[in-house]
Amino acid sequence: MDERHEEDCGCQEYNELSRRQFITSAAAGVSAAAVFPAWLPKIVMSKAYASNRDIIVSVFMRGGADGLSVCVPFADANYYTSRSTIAIPQPDASAATKGINLDGFFMFPQAMAGGAAGTGGLIPAFKATDLLVVHATGQLNNSRSHFDAQRYMEVGKPVDPALVTGWLGRHLASIPPLKPDAPLRGLGVASGLQKTLVGAPKTLPIADPTNYSVGGSAATQAQRLAFMQADYAAADEPLHSAALDATNTVNLLKTVNFTAYQPANGAVYAANSAFAKALKSVAVLIKADVGIEAAQVDIGGWDTHSGQDPLAGSMFRTMQDFSNSLAAFYADVIATGYNVTVVAVSEFGRNVRENGSQGTDHGRGTTMLAMGKGIAGGRVLTKNWPGLAREQLEQGQDLKVTVDYRDILAEIVQNRLANPNLSFVFPSWTPTMLGVTR
Amino acid sequence: MFFGAAAAAALLPKTGRAQSPSRKRRQVAEPADGEFPLIRPNENVAAFAEWESTLGRLVRRATYGPTVAEVAKATQLGFQGYINYQLNYTRINDDVVEAAVAAKWPMLSQSSDTLFSADAGQLRSQLQESTIYRATFSQRQLYQRMVEFWSDHFNQDWDKVGYLLAADQRDVIRKYALGKFPDLLKASAHSASMMLYLDQTASRNTAPNQNYAREIMELHTLGVDGGYTQNDVAELSRVLTGWTIQGRGNFVFNPAIHDWGSKTVLGVTIPAGSPSLGLAGINEGEQMLDLLVNHPSTARFIATKMLRWLLDPNPSETQISAIAAVYKATGGDIKAMIRAILNDAWLPVSPMKLRRPFHFLVSSLRSTNPTLTSVATLNGQLNTLGQFLFSWDTPDGYPDKIEYWAGNIVPRWGYASFISAQNSATSVVVDTTLYRAGTPDAAIDLMDQNFFGGEMPLVTRNALLTYIKGGTFNDTRVRETIGLAVSANAFQWY
Repeated sequence: MDERHEEDCGCQEYNELSRRQFITSAAAGVSAAAVFPAWLPKIVMSKAYASNRDIIVSVFMRGGADGLSVCVPFADANYYTSRSTIAIPQPDASAATKGINLDGFFMFPQAMAGGAAGTGGLIPAFKATDLLVVHATGQLNNSRSHFDAQRYMEVGKPVDPALVTGWLGRHLASIPPLKPDAPLRGLGVASGLQKTLVGAPKTLPIADPTNYSVGGSAATQAQRLAFMQADYAAADEPLHSAALDATNTVNLLKTVNFTAYQPANGAVYAANSAFAKALKSVAVLIKADVGIEAAQVDIGGWDTHSGQDPLAGSMFRTMQDFSNSLAAFYADVIATGYNVTVVAVSEFGRNVRENGSQGTDHGRGTTMLAMGKGIAGGRVLTKNWPGLAREQLEQGQDLKVTVDYRDILAEIVQNRLANPNLSFVFPSWTPTMLGVTR
Repeated sequence: MFFGAAAAAALLPKTGRAQSPSRKRRQVAEPADGEFPLIRPNENVAAFAEWESTLGRLVRRATYGPTVAEVAKATQLGFQGYINYQLNYTRINDDVVEAAVAAKWPMLSQSSDTLFSADAGQLRSQLQESTIYRATFSQRQLYQRMVEFWSDHFNQDWDKVGYLLAADQRDVIRKYALGKFPDLLKASAHSASMMLYLDQTASRNTAPNQNYAREIMELHTLGVDGGYTQNDVAELSRVLTGWTIQGRGNFVFNPAIHDWGSKTVLGVTIPAGSPSLGLAGINEGEQMLDLLVNHPSTARFIATKMLRWLLDPNPSETQISAIAAVYKATGGDIKAMIRAILNDAWLPVSPMKLRRPFHFLVSSLRSTNPTLTSVATLNGQLNTLGQFLFSWDTPDGYPDKIEYWAGNIVPRWGYASFISAQNSATSVVVDTTLYRAGTPDAAIDLMDQNFFGGEMPLVTRNALLTYIKGGTFNDTRVRETIGLAVSANAFQWY
């Protein structure tokens, strides 16, 4: 629904260039002139703070992404026997739609690799060993309901209806802010707060950060915000905090010049992609160093019951949007040295065998992705590939879940986000560290 | 402006905040360790102390906002009389509104065969704008509230189904919104739009598609914990093979793609049939629909959802059992269930509910009563507010959860200043004459009547008085104050 927010705010004010960006860029050997881009004309040093912690961008691929198309186990012959019309040809095939070899067993479809040459999309991040693909992963809860599966994945604990806060919300609640005075620590790029973030202090859903205003006359805005302050003072949670955070965030975001933003490294965020637009807004906020430390971004279109067509059709376009947008974010933010980790999950995978509508129905194991300079990437991580032969499948139909997604997230929370409170972030779960961080 | 430290401290989340007896609340369980500053969403928000009138509670739940006229009507009819009035909606004369709808949005009455070649963008706008218009101006307020409820229950996304949605809204949702649930469910199961939305059109005997078979049990009837298994999903999907659409969008049963083998769903076995049965093969599916609507899980699931919509985000077991019993006793009579839910024992102690963006926008229109020359602008505003109609892509419908919508408050404030401004395009013009006729205090009293059904919370009254007296008492000041009344905490709830 977010793609319909089309307007730009035309904010005229400027934000500050941060100490962090200065240090990061200088350390990377960039000349002093290059660290003052035109969109950041006013330099105000922010308060010093310790920051080895990564900012996290959490992506939810809503609808149940077919991991067998996102990262294809082409060397498992049963992949081809299970999918007569929607399989992606092997890397050494003559077909124009052949995949891009990753490690001799798995390949990316062209949609994930920027096309037939296989040099775009997420390939640069993979080759730079900054992108990790985890396969045959997912959650213990075997619900094939989108809504149950998404809920428990976002909450971070299977089938506990009493738990309403999300894992990322509890993460933010259990570490001190990166910047003590930050009015906004987390944002969900959505019209409503995603369950992943529920519970987080100083966190709001903002569908379009470039257009976030209470409108009306500038002359009376302060007085009108004072009304909100008085009127919402006695409101119940979460409205109480939302109103307080909102009044501060309005003031914060109008200092950020989104429209003049120039991505680094020639990165291009597709103008017609809501996902790219969301990532671009997150990139601007990260670089503006306003204290954002977590963002939740969603991408839909993965519920491919019919006409899946990962070679040229519906799922091709979804994967292309996914990978090109993340590739832009990688080039713009991660490759330029910002301490950011991206994770991408989906609620479940899809049946190994295609259905009669050239699609796939709800399944179990799928892929998840982690990307960042602190991620031990450049590989497809599996815990003994469970196989695609009928007898190897869960209930004879689905890729088994061999890696609990919380193992991956917990290691990132501990090692990249510097949060030791894992039992709070993932209650009743003792994670197995698999070496996904450097 | 940024809040000062003292003000911020006063606004920090507090635990064990002193509560007056009228603001009792239940705690949400949060079994996590540690003493961390979690923002715990509270779905049991006690109503404002000022909301003393049970009749006022009823009007807030049965309508899109307690206007002066609506409160007067309820007062005249009394509690039970007003419920009966709203439930017997066909006896409420709504000719003026329906004539306006027919004139402004003529595509709504056209068949799918005609709409097939119609301008899709126009049709989408006509559906959205007419829905806003009807919710705002219809006298059949409770009916409109239930149209919204069932539109979510049987949610479909315009981007997937397009013009077929017009027939679904008209011939399924609006036709049975206050009818019997089994009729509604069956109409939905014979809706071309639903067949396309949940991939029945792609399902065939050689490889059935499970999408609709799953969602009709999970979302439409039994509920996710209603006692069905993955095997039941697979088997029901076989039963439903052949349920599809033909031509320009008419439901049809196609025996050529039906699976005639034997199937077992929820313990009920359908023996193997034969292609020679032809069109009679649809009866297998009809038998399953009967099984679903008569299932005890369906009674509980529909009762729970209606209770959440009309009464309490967390209904008690007693309430669920009572309303499920009404479902069973009346064959799923929606009116009878509503009558049982909106009773004068439960309403006064029920928590408040947060208005979703559509509800909020419609309420603001009922309260400000603007002259509208076009609804297109408002439709765009609703998009910015986050609830562009018929555009939720997954079949669960727009969420009705506080924690989902509460953070999206700035767009509401922006919208409120937009509609109250003098220059808010020419399409939405709020008349301020009466507010400017007397003193600033009288203006706030009038806002109390128009916006809060005469039960404006004291904190809001004081804050509005401070604002209206904080500058020259003129049209601009009055408009800004109206914008703040719409922005106020109390206006977000019902």
